Amino acid sequence: MNERVSILDGNTFLVSDERGNIEPSFDFPTGLFSFDTRFISNWVLTLNGEKLHALSIDDSLSYRTRFFLVPGEPTHYLDAKVSVIRSRSIGGSFDEELTLLNHADQAAEFVLRLDIGSDFADLFEIKHQRQKKGHTVPRIADNELRLVYRREGFHREAVISTGPPAEIDEAGITYRVVVGPHGEWTTRLHVATNIYGARGEDIRSTLPLGGHRSVEEIHVEQNELIARAPKLACDCEPLAGAYRRSLNDLAALRYESITLGVRLLAAGLPWFMTLFGRDSIFTSLQILPFLPELVPPTLLMLAGLQGSRLDDFRDEEPGKILHELRYGETAGFEEQPHSPYYGSADSTALFVILIDEYERWTGDGNLVRMLEPETRAALAWLDTYGDLLGTGYISYLTRNPETGLQNQCWKDSWDAVSFSDGRLPAFPRATCELQGYAYDARLRGARLARTFWQDPAYADRLEREAAALKERFNRDFWIHDREYYALALDPDGRQVDALSSNIGHLLWSGIVDESRAAAVARHLLGPRLFSGWGVRTLADDQGRYNPIGYHVGTVWPFDNSIIAWGLWKYGFREEAGEICEAMLSASRFFEGRLPEAFAGYERSLTDYPVEYPTACSPQAWSAGTPLLLMRVMLGLEPQGEHLIIDPAVPPGMGRLELLDIPGRWGRVDALGRSRSGGRRGQ
Amino acid sequence: MGEAIERFFATLPARAPAVLRNPIHGTLQVDLTRENRTEHWFVELSPGSVRVLREQLPADATFTVSMDLFERLVTGRAAGMAAVLRNEATFSGNVALFLLFRRFFPDPPSARDPRETARAHLGRSG
Repeated sequence: MNERVSILDGNTFLVSDERGNIEPSFDFPTGLFSFDTRFISNWVLTLNGEKLHALSIDDSLSYRTRFFLVPGEPTHYLDAKVSVIRSRSIGGSFDEELTLLNHADQAAEFVLRLDIGSDFADLFEIKHQRQKKGHTVPRIADNELRLVYRREGFHREAVISTGPPAEIDEAGITYRVVVGPHGEWTTRLHVATNIYGARGEDIRSTLPLGGHRSVEEIHVEQNELIARAPKLACDCEPLAGAYRRSLNDLAALRYESITLGVRLLAAGLPWFMTLFGRDSIFTSLQILPFLPELVPPTLLMLAGLQGSRLDDFRDEEPGKILHELRYGETAGFEEQPHSPYYGSADSTALFVILIDEYERWTGDGNLVRMLEPETRAALAWLDTYGDLLGTGYISYLTRNPETGLQNQCWKDSWDAVSFSDGRLPAFPRATCELQGYAYDARLRGARLARTFWQDPAYADRLEREAAALKERFNRDFWIHDREYYALALDPDGRQVDALSSNIGHLLWSGIVDESRAAAVARHLLGPRLFSGWGVRTLADDQGRYNPIGYHVGTVWPFDNSIIAWGLWKYGFREEAGEICEAMLSASRFFEGRLPEAFAGYERSLTDYPVEYPTACSPQAWSAGTPLLLMRVMLGLEPQGEHLIIDPAVPPGMGRLELLDIPGRWGRVDALGRSRSGGRRGQ
Repeated sequence: MGEAIERFFATLPARAPAVLRNPIHGTLQVDLTRENRTEHWFVELSPGSVRVLREQLPADATFTVSMDLFERLVTGRAAGMAAVLRNEATFSGNVALFLLFRRFFPDPPSARDPRETARAHLGRSG
């Protein structure tokens, strides 16, 4: 399999092989994508009828790549008389510059050919290939090849333009050139990805924010974002590298919603380049101490798209916060439910949690007052539609068995929720972390009601409900003889008794009885869950454990960052530090870019973290992980108008200084240092 | 002009207190097309209230849709965002107003309360 090279700007991205070519692929989304549509699926360069071979690739920037190529297949001895440089960038559209270098003493004629095609596949059609319902027509004009796709009013165009001496046909472009001795020749290609509205205008031109950014604008905007973030000074090189990389990736993942005209964060390349409720909320929570200005657009959009009616196809209910919004053909024609899809049982509570956390950091009471109706509607959902069986617990059961999600928690693959022996429970399922989030949401909602909505009676009620939930939860979910919380309850109230990382989220939400927290921490850092690189999603002695199973054994950086936060909340600083150390050590193997997930193998077995085969990278909540870990190590917690700084830096990490932390206090610096004489692994 | 559409606009003022709880104020032009003609409706949205005029006036946002599709929207048989994504309906201007206005669209006729679905799934009676 060829190495893949990606560039992205927001949700426009290009994935090619290491020669810069795109060839149709049905297992992995290669091609040029924008707003969930593949605009280019074939883009293959040949020189005199021969494919080229890469000598080197410069891919240090998220939005630009250079490929240095020579003809023929790799051999020990390369003596090319000609080489080609492909230099490409992405910024709303896609630009490629082709430079041909003649290394010979004589002039020579070259035929450079680029095969071009588009299948206009919706992202959802890539794994499950289907006959397109619309039609693609190629049109040739002067120096331009236009691939036009239409299905009823749905209209997309890839417009490829270039300069002379291009010979354009329906399947590509040929350049016949004579290059002098030691001379060079250059041409440029521009690919516009047009999305047409009813009046035939590119839909982005009618929106408040234009959808196209130039490479220069991206560069300036990314640098501004990074310049606004707090400055890090530390002895720990992996942390410095991960922080830099994370800020770059977060900047690159920002995109402009095509229908909504605001800048949001895409969840992850390549499958999740769109708005997810859960991912965007967790990422916002992670980055709040660093980039609080990225949070309000996400909150406003989630509020604006809050569920308002009952809709089985979309698993929508009044008050519910969305799971996933897509922009492509399958969403528009309702072959998939993402317009938006509401199949997540946690995003609604998480939405309330984020609003409260955001205000604690920023002091932006106006937003809290503005979102009062949506916050109340979200809290009401917890008591009504969310509580499917009237047991006081949030549970889920899709009403769309064809295209909806079976598991509506963050571990949403089909086999993610199981008994210890591997059996799968019936639906509805009430996973434990959903109850934790609902508990936390009520307490935070109570603070908002008291402080901003002048409704102390409602605040009291929410607090009473939270207290009752905590008591009930500790009775029903706790497995006495094993000393951990069950992963879920099945519809008969039976404990789904697998040992999973979900118990770490319970610490974060505060629903764990003080007397039980130490046992939970012991499990999280014990050999069954902790691999040495992090906490596994499922303990290694459980029936469905698989070190490379998506949610049944892999280690997820985002999951670990929330677990570290939870351990810190209950005072387990050393244990939290151990997770921070493990994650940052792992990040070194990915050049600072933590992937979506890596394998659950023992650290002593592999010596390096094995990446999950189809992990998304960059991924927003993985990029947010180093930021949250820093908060945990420095012990940053807003209290009133002040920022409490209570550092506990793991042994061996040395000095950790974070300067200019923004918030309601203006900007403050935090400094932490490992205790002297501390040894690694103590 | 469909009766359902007339009825829909007529009920907006009474439904506004429950639906429009945000501190958002703005005007929306709803253009309904059928063959070569366009019906114009002008809706002024305020916290807790709506004013509906059958006129064409400058507005903060415009929602353009065929009369057939709009009739399906106001009877719950179509979904607004999906229609926009497939370009069967369009809007321009302040998006927040469209998101607010779509809250007036009712449930699909076949929609079930998820709690009933869960009980039915388990074979339990309500």
